[in-house]
Amino acid sequence: MAHTGDTEDLEALFDQISSETLARLDAEPAPDAAPAVQAAESGGEAASEQSPEFYQRVGMLTRQLHDALRELGYHQKVEQAVHSLPDTRQRLDYIARLTGQAAERALSNVEKGQEIQDGVEQEGARLSGKWRELYERRLGVDDFKQVAADTNAFLDRTQEDARATQALLTDIMMAQDFHDLTGQVIQKVLKLAQDFEDELVKLLIESTPADKRNAAQSEWMNGPVIDASSRDDVVANQAQVDDLLESLGF
Amino acid sequence: MKPDDLKFLIVDDFSTMRRIVRNLLKELGYNNADEAEDGQIALSKLRSGLFNFVVSDINMPNMNGFELLREIRADDQLKKLPVLLVTAEAKKEDIVLAAQIGANGYIVKPFTKATLEEKLTKIVQKMSGST
Repeated sequence: MAHTGDTEDLEALFDQISSETLARLDAEPAPDAAPAVQAAESGGEAASEQSPEFYQRVGMLTRQLHDALRELGYHQKVEQAVHSLPDTRQRLDYIARLTGQAAERALSNVEKGQEIQDGVEQEGARLSGKWRELYERRLGVDDFKQVAADTNAFLDRTQEDARATQALLTDIMMAQDFHDLTGQVIQKVLKLAQDFEDELVKLLIESTPADKRNAAQSEWMNGPVIDASSRDDVVANQAQVDDLLESLGF
Repeated sequence: MKPDDLKFLIVDDFSTMRRIVRNLLKELGYNNADEAEDGQIALSKLRSGLFNFVVSDINMPNMNGFELLREIRADDQLKKLPVLLVTAEAKKEDIVLAAQIGANGYIVKPFTKATLEEKLTKIVQKMSGST
């Protein structure tokens, strides 16, 4: 397994602090620390060729939307959500890479293991045949000596082969740690997707004309969408999103 | 201290990781182990059973590994229990924090059997020396 350059420094640091802490184990526990999260800024524009009224109308709507977003405080949330997308792409890329590596590692080890087991089977079968000939008194003294030597070597090699196979099996087992590592990343991506969806839906409801808003809101807000157990039920959530979009005329 | 004298509690929210650690411990000669899927369950198991060693993840629901470690160090019955943290959290501040609140060892995932063996042996040797 690869180690980064500063792993040893960190280990030394850990050992130093840990031994100091453990030495005064009877003293009271240390306080916690919290990580910080931050967001960034961005902007964008688009244009097309149409009639002056069209331009004016689009311009007006854009201004209204921009003002509404600012007024509601959503512009920052949407920006944050948009900025989280490259991070999400990186996380998904990591999952693809890790699962791919784990599959390759497991398959290579299976192939190596099969090769070892094939060797054991073939040599076992060959020696078994020789011993049958011996019992049927079809082997001379020189042949017998050879069979005895080969059998002895086979027994030694079988132990080595068993150890090698055991090591391959352990490595196949270790390759399954991708489940834990990718699982944690998937949970973070799900949270990002959920937050993104929540913000967009809130934005949709706020930007819906007042007369339609109540119907849309009750329809959407009745569903316990933020519940963790419903989170993996992607189809149901998507159906709710589609229904809402449809009810709003999108 | 003989391997079978030690009873391990493996704490991780992923069942696959619990199985991996359990199998590795078995390969290293430690056959006596139980499992818990988060810190809360671990704590109640620790308080009701006779465990000698905790191997715990950090990032878990309900009660994470840091909180579990704090609870252990604050409990008169459990405070001397060795705790080895095995986690995907490789941030320097997490490692420092783990050491500050009394972790006996810290392993970053993905890890190897050799790494687990090295850290375990180090802690077990210290345990044998102090008892």
